[in-house]
Amino acid sequence: MSETGTNVLEVRHLCKYFPIKSGLFGRVVGYVHAVEDVSFTLKRGTTMGLVGESGCGKTTVGKTLLNLTPKTDGEVIFNGNVHLDRLSGRELRSFRPKIQIIFQDPYSSLSPRLPVGEIIGEAVREHHLVPDDQLDGYVSKIMKSCGLFDYQKDRYPHEFSGGQRQRICIARAIALNPDFIVCDEPVSALDVSIQAQIINLLEDLQKEYNLTYLFISHDLSVVQHISDTVGVMYLGNMVEYAGKEDIFARPLHPYTQALFSAIPVPDPTVKMNRIILEGSIPSPANPPSGCKFHTRCRNCKGVCSQKAPRTMDMGGGHTVACHIYDPESGYAQEK
Amino acid sequence: MSEKEPKKTMANEEELALDDGRRVKVLSPGMMVFKRFIRNRLAIVGICTLIFMFVFSFIGGLVSPYRQDQVFYKVDNANKEYASAIINSDYRFTAVEGEVLTPMTRATFNGQVKSSGADETVFTADGVTYTAKKIDDGFYILSAGKTLGTVAQLGKIVDINLEPDTELTDEARKAVQQALRNGEGSFTADGVSYTLTRGVGKNYTLSSMVEVGMVSMLNFDPHDPSYTGLVSGYEFRKACETAMHRGETTAVADGITYTLDVQDENNAVVLDAGGKEIAGISNIIVNPVNNGIFLTADYRAAVSEAISERRTAFDYINSEGVPEHHTIQMRGSNYIVFTQQQTYLIDMYSPPSAAHPLGTDDHGMDVLTRLMYGGRISLMVGFIVMILENIIGIIIGGVSGYFGGWVDTLLMRFVDLFNSIPYYPMMIIAGAIMDSFEVDPYIRLYMMMAIMGIMGWTGVARVVRGQILSLREQDFMVATEATGIPVSRRIFRHLVPNVMPLLIVQATMGLGSIILAEATLSFLGLGIKYPLASWGSIINSSSNIYVMTNCWYLWIPAGLLIVLTVLGFNFVGDGLRDAFDPKMKR
Repeated sequence: MSETGTNVLEVRHLCKYFPIKSGLFGRVVGYVHAVEDVSFTLKRGTTMGLVGESGCGKTTVGKTLLNLTPKTDGEVIFNGNVHLDRLSGRELRSFRPKIQIIFQDPYSSLSPRLPVGEIIGEAVREHHLVPDDQLDGYVSKIMKSCGLFDYQKDRYPHEFSGGQRQRICIARAIALNPDFIVCDEPVSALDVSIQAQIINLLEDLQKEYNLTYLFISHDLSVVQHISDTVGVMYLGNMVEYAGKEDIFARPLHPYTQALFSAIPVPDPTVKMNRIILEGSIPSPANPPSGCKFHTRCRNCKGVCSQKAPRTMDMGGGHTVACHIYDPESGYAQEK
Repeated sequence: MSEKEPKKTMANEEELALDDGRRVKVLSPGMMVFKRFIRNRLAIVGICTLIFMFVFSFIGGLVSPYRQDQVFYKVDNANKEYASAIINSDYRFTAVEGEVLTPMTRATFNGQVKSSGADETVFTADGVTYTAKKIDDGFYILSAGKTLGTVAQLGKIVDINLEPDTELTDEARKAVQQALRNGEGSFTADGVSYTLTRGVGKNYTLSSMVEVGMVSMLNFDPHDPSYTGLVSGYEFRKACETAMHRGETTAVADGITYTLDVQDENNAVVLDAGGKEIAGISNIIVNPVNNGIFLTADYRAAVSEAISERRTAFDYINSEGVPEHHTIQMRGSNYIVFTQQQTYLIDMYSPPSAAHPLGTDDHGMDVLTRLMYGGRISLMVGFIVMILENIIGIIIGGVSGYFGGWVDTLLMRFVDLFNSIPYYPMMIIAGAIMDSFEVDPYIRLYMMMAIMGIMGWTGVARVVRGQILSLREQDFMVATEATGIPVSRRIFRHLVPNVMPLLIVQATMGLGSIILAEATLSFLGLGIKYPLASWGSIINSSSNIYVMTNCWYLWIPAGLLIVLTVLGFNFVGDGLRDAFDPKMKR
């Protein structure tokens, strides 16, 4: 295991456009700008929360990082020097165990025709991570650490509940001894009590195996609980990125402020000061000019619709992409 | 849990907590499918039907005592021509041994004597003088004049100059003198007739009349081939005929006395002293129609009797003592005798019996056995074509669905192309080509399966492609990529098992339609050819209205087998589909 503190992942200017095809011969008439110019770094043993509305490109970031969908532009560097898109097929396949993903839907992410032991152990055997004669014991150990029982090895996914299935998915990822796991809304399909179990399991495993998570979620309280750093995405852009305490204490971007104001507080006496965003998220195929948020921003001024904001470092690794905090943008001068 | 170890079982149960997951019995998806399947009553009916069909076809063929192409014959009595008879209206000439009746003689006799009707007619043919002496109507004795020498009368002296090699008895010499004295032209001595023909002056030519043959209208048939020599002998015939015409019942020939059993003026049977039948005499000539058959005199007599009595049928007890019924038909001047004769016929369209429970077909083959062997071919065609379709369909559909993009587009347009080839015209052309090349029935069978497979894979390809397209996007397939599992393993371990249920259902349902298609082709005469059978070709043999209306046992069982098999496959397919459907919680 590498020492804590090194960069497991560096993402620079990641872009992902999906072409829109139409007509008989599939002519490309436009692009869906799913991810645009996203940059961040992840240190070993930490968890980054990625939050945003539905359709803002969180899942696409996760899949593009793992090269499950090829990126359009930018760089993704693992462990300081591994570019997935530059590896050959064989090299990529042998590097795969290092980077894993846990899906949102525990029902569709397990093949219904394979027993659980086979689902967990299959890739381990393929990559010869443990000797074949120890595979059975290894799978049992992983299952136990994920809160599953040894005797469930021969059962099929349909015999498990959603929470158990998610444990199986986690076990499948953990079994490969990864450095980095993309948790793509792993708890959003589960009920609250199970969510807590899964979150705790993920935290325990992180401590045990020194894992690095990219935790994608739209559930801010979960993100607040598990993350070390938080990135906020809006329409393909990373609008704000900061440490957890920093961002929850001092949200800078108007979108982040609106988002965080929606976190329910379990106290009926507290007066909620919600920022209600008007309108719906614009189409990523035809994003607004300038700042993409300007159509819904209550602080919108003329410059916002004309110029895309720069990403400003506000100190302590707290970055924000908003004209308000950019003295050179001319926002302050406008009325 | 076995009863042998109750203690251990108890112990195990005590160890498990009430909410322990181990208390739940683990069922693999296959087992669950099986359990759901056997609870489906209709599917069980279907599978029982199919098991019956397989046992019937594959074991029935072994149990059946007949081969599939064994032709059965039956013994049948057919009214066949047996003999022909004609009433003799021509004179028949019989020559004395050593004498020859030339055709000229016969023709002259026919021309002169027949018309004259005189008792004694003299005619000349080939320079010989003949005398035809009429004994009775239609019975003449022919004598030929033979020059013995010359006789010169010089006063009282009679000088007889004989030709060489001839002799004259003293009696005859005296008779010559007597005749000369009396001036008679002809005389008889020692039973021989002599003629004196006057030449120049007192010179005479002495000639004797020698019997050379007889002319009659009766026909002699020996009772036995060994009597042929005797019966054709002149002495015998003359004696018998003479006796017949004189109404006598005995005839003496060559010193042997024969008895005549006279039936009427034209018919009689000649018996020897011991009462043994030697020959029949008749004016009716009876000949067998086929060579190699010897008609007995008894039979000839029976035919003659029936014809002379103008009957159209008669019964005859043959040499083996079996009565035979014969019928006579007049055809021109001939009589044709028909009799019931045993012949071997192909046992066509025979109704159900103990030997043939479903009768026989138009080739005289056992229908039940044909159904068994036909079932083999029908089921085999169904399975092989299905396997062929699925192999091609899975490969093309799988490649198309898994790789997608332009590969998918290309392959699906190829599928569209195949789909637009008209199926039956194609099969008709293929059948006609194989007909014209006279392809061996077995090779034809394989060719047909190949063509049906090649024509039918597109449906499978589409289903597989669609299924794989949707499975490919499922998270568990993304997970296999994320965990770095190789492509082959991803296809065969993850994709194929998930496509299989649908494919099994499709294939089972498809089997029925393949069997139907094969039956249709065979019914149209394009598929399975004789001597091979299939259920369709068995129905084909009843495509004429006679068979359709009269021989239900020929086509109803075959039709029933097809219907039951297709129904069975459909029931099983439905049952499998329900069983594979995870939403079915039964």
